[in-house]
Order: sequence, then structure tokens, then C-alpha cells
Amino acid sequence: MLTKKQKGINWILTAILLVMSLFFLFPVVWMLANSFKPDAAITADMNTAAAFIPPMPGGGFFENYISILTNTNFLRYMANTLFYAAILIVCGVVVNGLAGYALAKIQFPFRERWVLLILLLQIVPMETILTIHFLMIAKVGLLNTVVGYILPMIVNPFNIFLFRQVFMNLPDDVYEAAQLDFCSPLKYFFTMVLPMSKTVVATVSVFTFLNVWNDYLWPSLVFTSSNLLTAQIGLNSITSNENTTMGQTLAVITMVTIPVIIIYSLFSKQIVEGVTSTGSKEG
Amino acid sequence: MSFMEFKNICKKYENAERNSVTDFNLTIEEKEFIAFVGPSGCGKSTTLRMVAGFEEITSGDLFIDGKRVNETAPKDRGIAMVFQNYALYPHMTVEKNIGYGLRNMKIPEAEVKKKVDWAIRILGLEEFRTRKPKNLSGGQRQRVALGRAIVKNQKLFLMDEPLSNLDAKLRVSMRNEISKLHRELGTTTIYVTHDQVEAMTMADRIVIMKDGVIQQAGAPMELYENPVNKFVAGFIGSPQMNFYQVSVSGNEMTFSDGRKIRLSMEAAARLKGRDGQMIMGIRGEDIKLDSDSCNAHEPDQQKAVVENTEIMGNENNLYFTFGGSLTVARVSKDEVSRIGDEIRFVFLPEKMHFFDKNTEERI
Repeated sequence: MLTKKQKGINWILTAILLVMSLFFLFPVVWMLANSFKPDAAITADMNTAAAFIPPMPGGGFFENYISILTNTNFLRYMANTLFYAAILIVCGVVVNGLAGYALAKIQFPFRERWVLLILLLQIVPMETILTIHFLMIAKVGLLNTVVGYILPMIVNPFNIFLFRQVFMNLPDDVYEAAQLDFCSPLKYFFTMVLPMSKTVVATVSVFTFLNVWNDYLWPSLVFTSSNLLTAQIGLNSITSNENTTMGQTLAVITMVTIPVIIIYSLFSKQIVEGVTSTGSKEG
Repeated sequence: MSFMEFKNICKKYENAERNSVTDFNLTIEEKEFIAFVGPSGCGKSTTLRMVAGFEEITSGDLFIDGKRVNETAPKDRGIAMVFQNYALYPHMTVEKNIGYGLRNMKIPEAEVKKKVDWAIRILGLEEFRTRKPKNLSGGQRQRVALGRAIVKNQKLFLMDEPLSNLDAKLRVSMRNEISKLHRELGTTTIYVTHDQVEAMTMADRIVIMKDGVIQQAGAPMELYENPVNKFVAGFIGSPQMNFYQVSVSGNEMTFSDGRKIRLSMEAAARLKGRDGQMIMGIRGEDIKLDSDSCNAHEPDQQKAVVENTEIMGNENNLYFTFGGSLTVARVSKDEVSRIGDEIRFVFLPEKMHFFDKNTEERI
């Protein structure tokens, strides 16, 4: 039971958090409201409260969006990104999951050292490895290919660690029961381990999607063909074009942002659980 | 040849100082229900896991149905197992849990359905067939685990403390169900438990283990009436057998507090030439308070003051100190002694057990 004082503190904290979240919401609301306006209206509303209010729906309401989707390849870039994310989610869950399972459940020499090594890999900034990845991919002639883009992104030390932490808590007797039920180790992984660990699979899938969706550096190095570009690169090329209007720019940014907001809203529980499971769960 | 044979089986874990199981020798006949019983850490579950193939056998040979299976994979040993924590597949329904093994065996779907339906029917799980384990009670989960074991028609059932997570009432009813199932199916069963009541009530033969070594193997009543050592005598039976440090001289036995009792002719003959210190054991029900017994053994009648009573409903347990040891006597429910009452009692001479003071082996 909360005391009166604790209740008061809770109210104050809630109010502070509300003000802070409004502060962070302002740019998003401004972007969303203005993405439906022509440039003249954006300029006219600037520095007034109207800048945060979208126009009344009517003719030309979606003009900025329609022009972006019809005059540029942005829809294709979005589809590309979704496709890459889907492949990476499947490959990432399988590869990192199998590695995590081995580190959690299979006894082999220096197992704990391997875990430590994988943890250490997380310290290395991604940007420092990118050059090596680029040189390797270039050497095997995979530049400007989907495989070349995806291959270096499959293995993720953080996801391996995440899987390991969760798999360590799986009961061993279920595996033993499955063995007596004529289940092979690989079948056990796919039909038992993954379904029993839906939360971590969801977490890794969300993280992978967000990584792919927000990634700019690696696709910009690997891809040169405009057919293969991702949404972030598309966003950059569209917004840096001098013919693109302010409204169109905001429409593109909105289209890139909305999937991320939706994913965060739908899977916030998994994201929080994923982050906490790496640190707070018992091994 | 016996259905199962353990030949000098030993198990030593890496870096362990001593064996978990030492020189385990046993033969099991087809359709037998064998219980491995003993205190925690006695090696009973380790032995069962060696039979299942989940633990490597350090030395010795294990034969199932005439075939040496030391290196055989668990799935190829022809066994089904019921685990202590049920080990159900949490994301599958009852019927999928039961049918999972059959489907992996590539049995035609129609036959799988028939077998699953049969198991569900005989285990009384009809109304739960589409439920997942988390929506079942402990007893229902245990029945699903049993169902998963029986549908596969394996030649050996292994049960690792399957009732230990159930409440007392459910344990009794599941005990009956397992016994009934064993009678119906006739599958050879090895049942591990630390509960001697389970072992006594269910098994054809009991194997009592301590520190990885078999102490005695035999029929329940054989173990109860003729324990080979003090450990077995104390482990089997509830309440536990009463033990006393005694000194025997001729046909007379002296307790540590100086009280004396005459030995029966049979006991005196058995102890002839072994005068000296030893341990005497007697079960609670062999301490008699009724007037007939007291009159029959009047010269050896003893007195004590009741220190505690346990009213069990069908009988009473009376606790008192005698011969330097806390003693429990199981008496009829009509015997209404209260705490502080002085009681007269006799030890039935023919029911006394004698154990060597040093080796604790039966004399």
C-alpha cells in the first residue's frame, strides 16, 4: 500500500515524465502535421501553433506522399528494406540461435571463454569492422549484391548472447524427453527450443528489423545499383535532391519513421525483456 | 536370460572424489515392477539415467533384452520415461504432447490418432485434450507424461520420482493409477523414489541404495521383516524402527539404562557365542500395551512415561524414552494414553532384530 507521500511523489514523477515525453514528441508532431501541407503553408505556419496542426483533409491532403511514391523509387527502397529485414530475421534467428544454444547447453572445451570472446566483440564499434567486411565482400565479388549486403550482418554477438541467456533457463529434461520421442537435435531446436523461446525470438526479430531499417553506412558501401538501395539511402538521396520540396521531405521522413514507431509500440514489452534478460536473469 | 541385467555398473563423475554408483549388480525379469529407493544422493536417479542413456556408464555392462546397451543412444534402447518435473512440451496441447513421439516414429496418422485417443481415454484426459500444460493441474500433467510414455509401446518404463511434486492425496490416487496401468500393460518398470511408502505399495521388488551401493534387493515384505542391516531396517517402515544399544549375555539383554529383558529361545540361539554390545531393533507395532500381551510376557514387562502422542485416526503413536532412546509404539486407536501417563508394555521377543554394533549388519 502506497503512503500519501509516495503517491504524491508518483504524481510529480508522472507529470515530469509527461512533460518530457511531450518535449520529445514535438518534432514528430510537427513533422507529421507539415508533411500534409504545401511549402507555402509550412512557411506561413512557421513560428505559430498552427505548425503543429495538420490541414483539414481534402483535395491535395496526400499530395506530398503521392508525389514521392509516384515520382521516386522510394516504395521500392522500402520494399527492399523489408525484404532484407525478413531474410536477416530468419537467418539471424537460426544462426545466432544455434550459436546461443551451443553456448548455453552443449558442453565443449573453453565454452565459457567463447562466451567471453563474444561479449568482448560487442565492445568493438561496428564502424571499425565495416572496412574489413567491405574488403572481404569486394574480394569475393559480392559487392552490389543482396548476399554481399546480408552475409556480414547475420552474425550478431548481442543476439547470440541474448539467445544464450534465455536458452540457459530451458529445462534439460524436456530435451531428454524429446530424445526419447525420437526427436533429432536439429528438429528439437526448431520445434521445441524456438517455440519455447518466443519472447527472445520476437526480441531478436525486432532488433534485427530496427537495425536493418535504420542502417545507412553498410548499405551505402555495398550498394551502388539504385534497384537495391534501402529506405535510409533513398531518404538521403530524395531529401538531398534540390527539386524536393519541404513538404515532400517531411513526407519521406514520416514514411521512414512510422514503421519504427509502430514496431516500438507493438513490441515494447519484448524490447524491454530482451534488454533485461541479458543482465538480470540468473544464469 | 533375464530381461535386464546390470553387471558391475559404476558411475564416477569427472573430478568427483568417489563413485556415485558402485558395483551395481541386479537382474530384472520381464513385467517386473522394480523400485529404486534410498535417501537423496544415494545414486538411484543416476542409475536410472544410466539405463536411459543420459549418463555415461563409467564401467560395467548394462543389458536390456539381451543386448548390451552401454553405447546405445537413448532413443534406441526401447525405453519410455516419466520425469520428475513432467518434462511436457509447453507449447503443445495434451494430444500433441502424447502423439509427438509417434509422429516422429513416422507412424501413419490414423494409427497415431487411435493410440493417442486410447491413452487419453484410459488416463481420463478427454476433456483436457486441447489444453496446453500450463492450463493443467499437477495430477493432469503427470497423467499426460504417463500417456506420452505408454503410447509408444516400449519394452521398459523408467519413472524418476514421478509423484514427488503432487500433494499427498493426489499421490495416493496416482499411485493406484500407475499400479493399475502396470497390471494392464505388463511393461517392465523401474521406478525411482525416496518415498518408501510408494516403493512398498507399488513394487514387486525394492532395491534399497545408500551411497551408490545396493544395500538390499527383495520383495517389500522381505525387506520389512528381514532387513540385512540397520540402514534398511531404519529406512523401510513408518514410523522408523526403534534402535537400542544393548549388551547381551546368555539369554539376557541389558539396555544402556540398566533395564533387562529375556531373549526368546530363537534369538538366544542365534546370538549364542556373540555375547557383548550390539544394536537391537524393534518396530513400533511389535511393542505391545494390551493386557493379553503384557500378561503373556509378564516377567519382561516394562514401564515408561508417555512424552508425546500422535493420533492417526486408525491407530495412535505413543512416544516415550526407554533404554536411552526415544521409542515409538504403534498402538490401536482404542489405546488412549495421554502425555504424562505411565504405561506398561512388552517387546515381542520373536520380533526383535539384532545388528552388529560396528558393521551394523544383521546378526
